[in-house]
Amino acid sequence: MNKETMPLLYFRSTSIAAALSIFTTLAASSPKTIDLPADGAQLRPSSLPGYAKAQANCVICHSAEYMLYQPPNASRAYWEAMTKRMKTVFKAPVDDTDIPVIVDYLAATYGAQKP
Amino acid sequence: MQLMDPNSSNRRRLLAAGLGAVAGGGLASVARSVFAQSSAFQQPFANGERQLVAYPEKRPLIVLTSRPPQLETPFEVFNEGVLTPNDAFFVRYHNAAIPTTVDGATHVIKVGGNAAGRSFQLSLADLKSKFRPVEIVAVNQCSGNSRAFFSPRVTGGQLGNGAMGNARWLGVRLRDVLALAELKDSAKQVTFDGLDNAVLGGGDFVKALNIDHALDADVLIAYQMNGADLPMLNGYPVRLVVPGYYGTYWVKHLSSIEIIDKEFDGFWMKPAYRVPDNDCACIEPGTTPAATRPIGRLTVRSFITSLKDGQRVSASGTTTVRGIAFDGGQGIHEVGVSTDGGQTWYDAVLGQDMGRYSFREFTFPLAPKRAGLYDIRTCAWTRAGVGQPTTAVWQPAGYMRNVIESIKVNAI
Repeated sequence: MNKETMPLLYFRSTSIAAALSIFTTLAASSPKTIDLPADGAQLRPSSLPGYAKAQANCVICHSAEYMLYQPPNASRAYWEAMTKRMKTVFKAPVDDTDIPVIVDYLAATYGAQKP
Repeated sequence: MQLMDPNSSNRRRLLAAGLGAVAGGGLASVARSVFAQSSAFQQPFANGERQLVAYPEKRPLIVLTSRPPQLETPFEVFNEGVLTPNDAFFVRYHNAAIPTTVDGATHVIKVGGNAAGRSFQLSLADLKSKFRPVEIVAVNQCSGNSRAFFSPRVTGGQLGNGAMGNARWLGVRLRDVLALAELKDSAKQVTFDGLDNAVLGGGDFVKALNIDHALDADVLIAYQMNGADLPMLNGYPVRLVVPGYYGTYWVKHLSSIEIIDKEFDGFWMKPAYRVPDNDCACIEPGTTPAATRPIGRLTVRSFITSLKDGQRVSASGTTTVRGIAFDGGQGIHEVGVSTDGGQTWYDAVLGQDMGRYSFREFTFPLAPKRAGLYDIRTCAWTRAGVGQPTTAVWQPAGYMRNVIESIKVNAI
């Protein structure tokens, strides 16, 4: 980069001046705060053991529309890939032995294996 | 704005924040609104039952997911004007640890990385006062907009056509900021991170642009949309604006910029948000792409906004039909209109040119000479001579849909 064409912006100030500046700007505006609504959907109840496992794991990070709104052709392979992704990528605390149990529930409750 | 605010609890909160106290205690007076008013909405595809809910700073929008918020714009909004109102602009998050309190006075963007000669940070005040402001009108469209219309259906967020919007963005050029970082010759990509975090720490939403793209004059760090602060859910106080490119690159609540000497391979760049690496970015349904590349520019699209599928129109008079067209930055050259299902075409009249990244309004007269069903189609063409496909192409992730749309109206 050519330094002579740089926008000129750097300010060097004493720590006291910086503190005053920060205080002034703080007082001049307030933080923007929002309150988010509660989840709009819950996991569908099921007698399958994966229902409790899904409640304990999946909805830590996201609401149930992620499952509920998948297309009618969502395959078991999809639910398995997603469950594994949630563990490997997003660090969902799923025991490996629980993965097929959760997939059974998701596949039977949402998507192609839905009754 | 809040300088004279007589609300004492609010002032206490500010003072507490200024003294570096933990904000949590001071925020106790903020009410929790957990009961959202909702109404039903039906998308025109299987399993398309949805709720309309008004999120903060938003009118009722179609809820794709409530946590994190993913909100789709009801399509009739696009007939209100060429610019999409901030309170109707779609929302897309990837992780649920999203910021709910952001102080524009203390927010900073950290700039650095292993291919930067120097590291520094910028406040919002720095951006506004020390760089040349630049304004650009540009469409932000989700990569997966219209995914639910894929046939065969593909998994993922089942969006109708409302995950897009057009706004006037005001901010500063990313390259003016990068100019201060003393880029090394090894600089290959620039990564962008925001205040939104992954709940359990894995899969933080971070995106990357190649260095030449990051230095393009049209890429902005924006602090306003349509003349107002960004709504929180659209990235307050600053977001990246990458005109012509899908929304995945438009990182919200921008807080970190890193210039790096290699290709960034975080989850949201690889394997997510990739398309088949061929001319059409498409493959035969059910097959797997031989190679993929990161998704890039928007494909050209056009929509009628003033008529709905199945609507009745007058068979004796003339109806002025309105719509919008856009593409990935060439600009719209013309929009063809057919009222006979694509057999014969004529030109629509283009509206004001608000720049090559903007929605372009078009209008045409619909004068049915007799009663009956009319299959109305529009096909936009870019200035590079690229038009919309007559049949939809397919890809496994459901991105980049741009087939010629068809609306059937009943003239009576």
